[in-house]
Amino acid sequence: MPREIAIAGVLIPGLLVWFLISLFLLFFIDMVIGRFGLYRYVWHPALFRLALIACIFGSIALLLY
Amino acid sequence: MSVTDVNAVTPTTRDVVVTALRDETQTWLFVAKTLLAFFLTGWLAMRFALDQPSTAMLTTILVANRQSGMVLAKSFYRAIGTVVGALAALVIVGLFPQERVLFLGALSLWVGLCAGGATLNRNFKAYAFVLAGYTAALIVIPVVNNPLAVFDGAVARISEVLLGIVVSGVVSDLVFPSHIRAIMRRAAREQYAHFMQFVERATTGKTARGDIEKAHLRFVRDAVTLEDMRSSVIFEDPEARARSGHILLFNQRFMAASTSLQSLHHLINRLQRNGRNVPAAALIQLYAPLGEALDIPIDADTSAKCILPRLDDARRAIGAHIPVMRASLQTDQDVQDFDTGADLVHRFADELYAFTDTAALLQAPGGVTGSAVRIRFTRGNDIYGAWLAVLRASMTMAVLSFFWIVLAWPSGASAMVIATVFAGLFASAPNPIKAVNAFLIGYVLGATASFICEFYILTHMDGYGLLIAGCTPFLMMGALLMAWPSTTGIGTGYLIGFTNLIALKNPMVYDPVRFLNESIAQLVGVGSASVAFTFVPSTIGSPWFIRRQFERLRRQVCVAAEAPLPGLIDRFESTNHDLFSQIVAQTVRGSDESRSLLAWALSVHETGRALIQLRYDLAAKHWPEGVHRAITPAIDALKNLYDSPTTSAYTQARDALIGSISQLNQFEGTQRLLVHLHLIRLALLDDKSVLADYMPRKKQSEEVGHAT
Repeated sequence: MPREIAIAGVLIPGLLVWFLISLFLLFFIDMVIGRFGLYRYVWHPALFRLALIACIFGSIALLLY
Repeated sequence: MSVTDVNAVTPTTRDVVVTALRDETQTWLFVAKTLLAFFLTGWLAMRFALDQPSTAMLTTILVANRQSGMVLAKSFYRAIGTVVGALAALVIVGLFPQERVLFLGALSLWVGLCAGGATLNRNFKAYAFVLAGYTAALIVIPVVNNPLAVFDGAVARISEVLLGIVVSGVVSDLVFPSHIRAIMRRAAREQYAHFMQFVERATTGKTARGDIEKAHLRFVRDAVTLEDMRSSVIFEDPEARARSGHILLFNQRFMAASTSLQSLHHLINRLQRNGRNVPAAALIQLYAPLGEALDIPIDADTSAKCILPRLDDARRAIGAHIPVMRASLQTDQDVQDFDTGADLVHRFADELYAFTDTAALLQAPGGVTGSAVRIRFTRGNDIYGAWLAVLRASMTMAVLSFFWIVLAWPSGASAMVIATVFAGLFASAPNPIKAVNAFLIGYVLGATASFICEFYILTHMDGYGLLIAGCTPFLMMGALLMAWPSTTGIGTGYLIGFTNLIALKNPMVYDPVRFLNESIAQLVGVGSASVAFTFVPSTIGSPWFIRRQFERLRRQVCVAAEAPLPGLIDRFESTNHDLFSQIVAQTVRGSDESRSLLAWALSVHETGRALIQLRYDLAAKHWPEGVHRAITPAIDALKNLYDSPTTSAYTQARDALIGSISQLNQFEGTQRLLVHLHLIRLALLDDKSVLADYMPRKKQSEEVGHAT
């Protein structure tokens, strides 16, 4: 994967793009969980979400770079 | 004092101490979390070698709040505003890099447009607009002599702000989070219980007109508070986000039921005042089943689900009573009055049921059952008011730029940026001068504290740990001031002034000359914001603005009278709701303006709804040509009356209405249409309503007697 992506001549780190994608993924998963009220089985929802984004972003980054 | 006395007193003292400590815990938790976010951000910003760690640290203070949801909501909009502002900065510098007048002109215009956009939005969305405006100024002004640096400046600003946002969000949501969700659930339950208790009281006993209006005002305020919480809670909790549509629906149905109750009570009052006791008594008897259905102890813990079947029974009982009661009435006029009221009772019962249904759905634990409800909300915005805000913000900035150019003051840029920021931030406050002045006091204190901290304490410190130790006492004072509701303004000013002026960075720069120049410039900036508000007063609360609000409200009747029918009722209700909330937010509680605006709002709502129902019924069936011809002049006359209320317009509307009613009486089967016209007529002839000012000086009661 390219380390940097050029958008209109501006170099943007490739990881930033993947970070945004992970954010969208998190948002989607969050929506599904919220829709079915599954957060009641989690002790600390906010911590869970932070861990989830760390997992998603970490695995994408490790897989691709 | 005897020994027993002492023994009796000791536990109470302890109780007092424990309660006080419990309250204080919240405050100190807020202070601790704010400081934690502040120093964590500062440390990260220095690790990442960002240009100005103080900007990132400032962000954590700007978004600090006790509730996590508030922090996340404000952060979200701050991020959007910052990115948009940075893009605007790039465009402006790209367009006019060498032409200072055009450059500052374009910048002023942008700031003004953003300030205008802010008036068209509520809550934190408005904040995003203001921010987009001044972020552009913050990025552009420092690089004015070196336009090529603007890109780096924009990137740095975005990184700093986003870093501050992320750290604040994580800290406030992870470390002992305090969620609005619980508060909101409680508020919604209480709102429901209060309303049901009120309905019970109003439908069983007599409640004075003044009390009902006061209660309605309280209900509207409740609805607005709930709406405010909803707009923040969606950032905090995905479950609440999934239910957001239901909360909106809950609020809208609440408003609808409350307004119908008002209409019904006004109608019965009018009938009673005009000596028409037979239909009034029949109507009171008609809605009695509702009171009986609610005659159970209701408090915030009562489930709406148990009330649902009772309400359904009451609804059915009302439906069964209508024909019986109608048959028992003797004169045509009584029947006419009864029909009008029965229609309202029926509508109210339906709305109450729908409201309870939504409440039950919201109270149900677990996932949301049924499909998410989609309601389109329409805003009641004032486009001229927005243009005025554009003008004011642009003028403030243009005047300051002019001073800057003419005086050639090296720190002028700083003063100008600060003035722009605070002129924008406080523009939507109900009393901006007071807010800015409190802020200015805080800023002076903050500047003094940062001088002491920087030159007497930090000079002896080495390393980040000692820096934290050196700054903490000063920051703690500010955070405490911010946590106490009465000194929030001073506290915010103190912290912003402190952070801005101490300008922590790595390596730290100790430059008393720069410090004094900066602090004078920034204080002048905050002062000029205050001056700007004195000379170009905020529109909110001015007679002009209030007159505009009256006009906008009244125009709602014109909308009801002529807008295309599909979806009209929802549009009408939601715009009314929005106007209501603006009135609540922008007028002082209990002031004359607030009372009279609400009276108008009620009158507009009553007439508008009747007009819409009339038009729906008119469109639902194929009526003979004569029916349309009979009703059109009445609708037009009403539209005229609300468009420009005068005595002659009032007389015209009244006469047109009476004409329509007598013409319609000649047609068969127009009962449904007559009910609405009759309701409007009774509202029009009410000598205690807001329209009473436009009545010709004549005794009205005889007219009511003859008119039918």
